[in-house]
Amino acid sequence: MRRIAVASFVVFLMLSSKSQAADGEALVLVQKAFDYWRGLSSYSEFSMTIHRPDFERTMILRGWTKGRSDGLFYVLQPPKDMGNGSLKKGRQMWSYNPKINRAIKLPPSMMSQSWMGSDFSNDDLAKSDSILDDYDHAVVEREMVDGHQVFTVESIAKEDAPVVWGKQILRVRDDFILLSEQFFDEDMELVKEMTAEDLVEFSGRIFPKIWTMRRVDERDRFTRLEYHILEFDIDIEDRLFTLASLKSKKRLQ
Amino acid sequence: MRFFDLLSVQISWRNLWRNPRRTTIILTAIVVGIISMIVLSAFGRGMMEGMVKNSIDNLVGHIKIQNPQYRIDPAIDNRIDQAEKIAAQIGELLPDDVQLATRLRLDGVLSTSREHTGVMIVGIDPAAEKGVSFIGRPLYQGTPLQPEDARGLLIGQGLLERLGLEIGKKVVVLSQDASGEGRSKAFRIRGSYRAEMRDTEKRYIFINLKSFQDMLAAPGSATEISISLRNANAYQTGTVEDYVDRINERLDGLGLEATGWRQLLPAIAAYIDMFDVYMLIWFVVVFVAMGFGLANTVLMAVYERMREFGLQRALGLRSSGIIKNVMIEVLFLLLIGMALADLCSFFLVKVVFRSGIDLGSFGAGIEMWGISRIVYPVLSLSDIVMANGVVVLLGLLVGLYPALHAARFTPIETMRHL
Repeated sequence: MRRIAVASFVVFLMLSSKSQAADGEALVLVQKAFDYWRGLSSYSEFSMTIHRPDFERTMILRGWTKGRSDGLFYVLQPPKDMGNGSLKKGRQMWSYNPKINRAIKLPPSMMSQSWMGSDFSNDDLAKSDSILDDYDHAVVEREMVDGHQVFTVESIAKEDAPVVWGKQILRVRDDFILLSEQFFDEDMELVKEMTAEDLVEFSGRIFPKIWTMRRVDERDRFTRLEYHILEFDIDIEDRLFTLASLKSKKRLQ
Repeated sequence: MRFFDLLSVQISWRNLWRNPRRTTIILTAIVVGIISMIVLSAFGRGMMEGMVKNSIDNLVGHIKIQNPQYRIDPAIDNRIDQAEKIAAQIGELLPDDVQLATRLRLDGVLSTSREHTGVMIVGIDPAAEKGVSFIGRPLYQGTPLQPEDARGLLIGQGLLERLGLEIGKKVVVLSQDASGEGRSKAFRIRGSYRAEMRDTEKRYIFINLKSFQDMLAAPGSATEISISLRNANAYQTGTVEDYVDRINERLDGLGLEATGWRQLLPAIAAYIDMFDVYMLIWFVVVFVAMGFGLANTVLMAVYERMREFGLQRALGLRSSGIIKNVMIEVLFLLLIGMALADLCSFFLVKVVFRSGIDLGSFGAGIEMWGISRIVYPVLSLSDIVMANGVVVLLGLLVGLYPALHAARFTPIETMRHL
């Protein structure tokens, strides 16, 4: 029922903004997709597989998110890394290592580095909102896939925006599920892409179970997230997203 | 009795050419030895001067005004406020031909869609850098930074190639403001520069001072005021220290400090001080090799003429007279050698190596020491005097041995000697 309502809202938007206001429609679509992706708040347990030509390792993590800016993640497995945590508040991030019992604020220079050795960068986690402000969005294609309309949104970086990408191409389903996100450089060459597969229902919400981030120019290197537990719109107190809470050990149980 | 009486000189000169082949051989040894001393010292001095020039050009300058804390922690917190005003005040203290460059220099990250790399971001006033630092020289590619260009950026050719970038591409530069918050801004590459050192090319990026100040919300601030003296000999001690003292008097109470390049580049200053001693050691080493040859040759000449010395003694020449004759012979040998060698090394340095010696094939290794790819040898009078002096003094000392030997012959001994 809800999906139909949403779909008709999008169709309404499309109709009402026929030619000139196509941007507004695309922006709403992107915004809704990102909100849907994160939910108002979420609790999750997922495994992260980092694949390289010569090795592969899998970690299991637990995380909470609230709103657009707050997040807290812990490593549960393997035991060697257990307790390593990341706290994200707004655009800032801290990293916690239980072995030295220190929470380190990531300096700005570290934000573009990879998160826990994966193909996701700290920026991917901390700044993903920038896509809303730093890009001009336009719907370039609509197609029907499995009874759903899928929009392809082309987001072109604004000239002065402090982003390294030339453009991004997002594929969003009419129920606001983000199916893929492609990152292009300034020459409009594909650099990396994130794809979502295996749509399943988590606590009443359709959500892709598997997310893969891969760099295009490097063969056989990717990072895959697979959700095991995912709950949306749960009550989380704000004090969960504090440094004290990052250091507390009880979240690991 | 005069030391150089005509007869002794004549006899010695003729003796020298009695065996032209032997004399030529030892002359060759002396000539090669002295050439190696002079040319190598010219080469070393050229290397050193190149090193000093490179280092000073490398955004150091002869004198630099900084917040003393900046040298320990190069962050925006340790900045110079109202840099323009201070620069103007200091300018009054100095002669007119001195150039001042105000810069804001901080660590940061340069990001492209494929890579991120740590760089030193330098905000400059492009006009003020001409003749002061390497960025004031013509660019390798692209167009220079225009004063009003808020989004222009200059990058080292080495970094440009490493990141696979081209002129005109967009990059994102990130640095930390006073509150520790990361601030990023998009720039377009306008041009690329070449520096003597590859390392410099990979490390420094240049943007307009104003746009860097705006990016960090720190209007009017800089981290250094660099002062370049026009005087070619400014790398000698004296002048720089004078100015430093005068500037520091004026800066009193502002929490800033002026430092001369000898303090800014202590390793290079120490190297210069060491250079003369190092060269002297080299001269002595070359001489030791040469000296044995000299002593041996003269000794052979002396033994060959043993009966002649006996006759001279029998005719009444004293042993001191024989020492004198042999020593004059040695002196002739040394003087001819020196004259030839000085001419040859002058020719080598001034004509053959005039356009410099390209060390490109050792590039990576020597750059580690801050030495230029092309070395221009520098002849210095003190080096030439030292090389010649070492050879004459030690040469005579070495010549004393065969001379004393000859003086010990008695007429009876020499008659028995066949």
